[in-house]
Amino acid sequence: MSRRHVPVWTLLGVVLVVALLIGSGAFFSPPPTNAQRAAAIESVIRCPSCEDLSVAVSSAPTAVTVRATVTRLVDEGTGDQQIKDFLVARYGSAIVLDPPASGWSILVWVLPVVVGVGAALMLVAVLVRRRRRGDSDLDADVRGASVDPAVLDERRRFLTQSLADADAEYLAGDLSDADYLSLRQRDLGRLASLVATTSPAGAAATTTTTGAAATTTTTTTGALAIAEADGGAAPATGASPTPRHRGRNRWFLIGAVVCFAAALVAAVPAFTSNRLPGQTATGSVSLGPSQQLARSLEQAAAVENAGQLGQAAQLYQSILSTHPDNAVALAQLGWLEYRIGTAGSSASLIADARAKLDQAATLAPTDYAAHLYLGTILLDHDGDATGAADQFLLFLAAEPPATVLAQAAPTLRTAFTQAGQPVPTGVPAG
Amino acid sequence: MSATPDPAPPAAGSAAPPTRHTARWVAIGVLVIAAGLIAVLATRSPASVAEVQSPLVGHQAPTVGGVTVDGHLFALPRAPGAFVVLNYFASWCAPCQQEGPELVEFAFQHQQPGDAQLVSVVFDDTTAAARSYQATLGATWPTLADPKGALALSYGVRAPPSTFLIAPDGRVVAYIVAPVTAADLDALIARAKAAGA
Repeated sequence: MSRRHVPVWTLLGVVLVVALLIGSGAFFSPPPTNAQRAAAIESVIRCPSCEDLSVAVSSAPTAVTVRATVTRLVDEGTGDQQIKDFLVARYGSAIVLDPPASGWSILVWVLPVVVGVGAALMLVAVLVRRRRRGDSDLDADVRGASVDPAVLDERRRFLTQSLADADAEYLAGDLSDADYLSLRQRDLGRLASLVATTSPAGAAATTTTTGAAATTTTTTTGALAIAEADGGAAPATGASPTPRHRGRNRWFLIGAVVCFAAALVAAVPAFTSNRLPGQTATGSVSLGPSQQLARSLEQAAAVENAGQLGQAAQLYQSILSTHPDNAVALAQLGWLEYRIGTAGSSASLIADARAKLDQAATLAPTDYAAHLYLGTILLDHDGDATGAADQFLLFLAAEPPATVLAQAAPTLRTAFTQAGQPVPTGVPAG
Repeated sequence: MSATPDPAPPAAGSAAPPTRHTARWVAIGVLVIAAGLIAVLATRSPASVAEVQSPLVGHQAPTVGGVTVDGHLFALPRAPGAFVVLNYFASWCAPCQQEGPELVEFAFQHQQPGDAQLVSVVFDDTTAAARSYQATLGATWPTLADPKGALALSYGVRAPPSTFLIAPDGRVVAYIVAPVTAADLDALIARAKAAGA
């Protein structure tokens, strides 16, 4: 970040801002259509019965209802904010995905900006201080093997200028006594090292060194005079940060931590004060997509076991609408369709059932259910004992649970006997 | 951060850098936060009814009306004149099945004319399944079909079972997202009465 780079940085900044303005469409954007408005609102409204999904991407019935309502309100000419208010009045502010910019929630918006601006200011402060102190690589160069007279001359000029700058800043009241002393002491130390390095060099270098050495003497005296005038000895530190800075930094850090802790402790009751008896501290228990799927499958199985085949079929259908490749739902729905199809002698339903079971068996060849159902259909419906036996071998290979195996054992024995094959040892005797 | 040490070694004559205590202070800060959280959370009392905040509580109840699962028209007056328990349910929902007998018990206890009234609304379920479920349960109160979810949206219902208590003057006084018991409902009504509802 040297001075001559400033125009480049400025230019880059201007280009960035202009590009962002153009890219954001702030200049040339036609008024949105109703569909675009509805889509924009739907993308910021949370699906009521799912967690962290907008109604735009959720297929839950509640989300469908909200979408229909938003579309209707947009078509009726209701404003965006009014539509959001309408939903907030029913579901609460959590229905909007973006937290509201009021109350304690405003912290969510303000804190990142404050932290970002603070970090940028600190960065600038560090860079400015570093530049004032001179390039930190200087010491290394001075101590190092670099004996190129041109480089050393440049360093010397830099240090001399740095000392002059420090003088000017101190006189202008921009530098504290301690800072001024420590800066002088460090730069003088560097100059002395430079002198030591360049002593064996050529005559031109020697001349300059002498001049620098003379400066060294006078300025050191000046520094000591200031230290005495200040009423104390010169601080025995050379490297930054100065003790005063260090102490201040520490207090800043402590202050920041305490403020953060206080803000958090104050914010927690404010956020949780709405929590009433029985409500969990972290809000409602939400299920992940896989947990929701598992629960849906359990519910469907429970309904199916209760003998409500139509209801169960509907539940499996709704699972498949969101998870079209779920082998369990495919197999169960196929089996339900077969049972309903045989009860009502519906050939198309039975054909549909077979297609689903075949798909389930292809998707999850190691899942026992599809093979059991396919085998049973082949045996009972088609009278194809050999085909059934093949499916039952796959069923046995998938290691079904003992209860399922026990239930299926009579059918399996029939199939293997009719196919003229020995009954596998895994099949329990009747 | 400014705590980054200068990469250059200290110039001649400098003292040893003083010890930094950043880690200690950060640790103390974290401890303070944790202690604050524990204090806040530990002093909250648990209770039996999972009553939650709804923006509707304290406000006029949205209109309740439509066709029941039996095909009858039903509408709740704006000021019902008695407490109304508005229960959203689904036949597939296990917690609803758990609270079903409690609702029957509540309806039985409040069967006198002018006493608290129960109204059920089907949430995310077919009318046929809901009708059969209510018949099996022995529900004698009106059950509104809500095929498009309009009644669920007007009350901001997210999941079944959800129960609203509406005061005689038509204000929503409580919202419960959990299976309720007859005793819970009686307690909520008593509380609302004590509060002047």
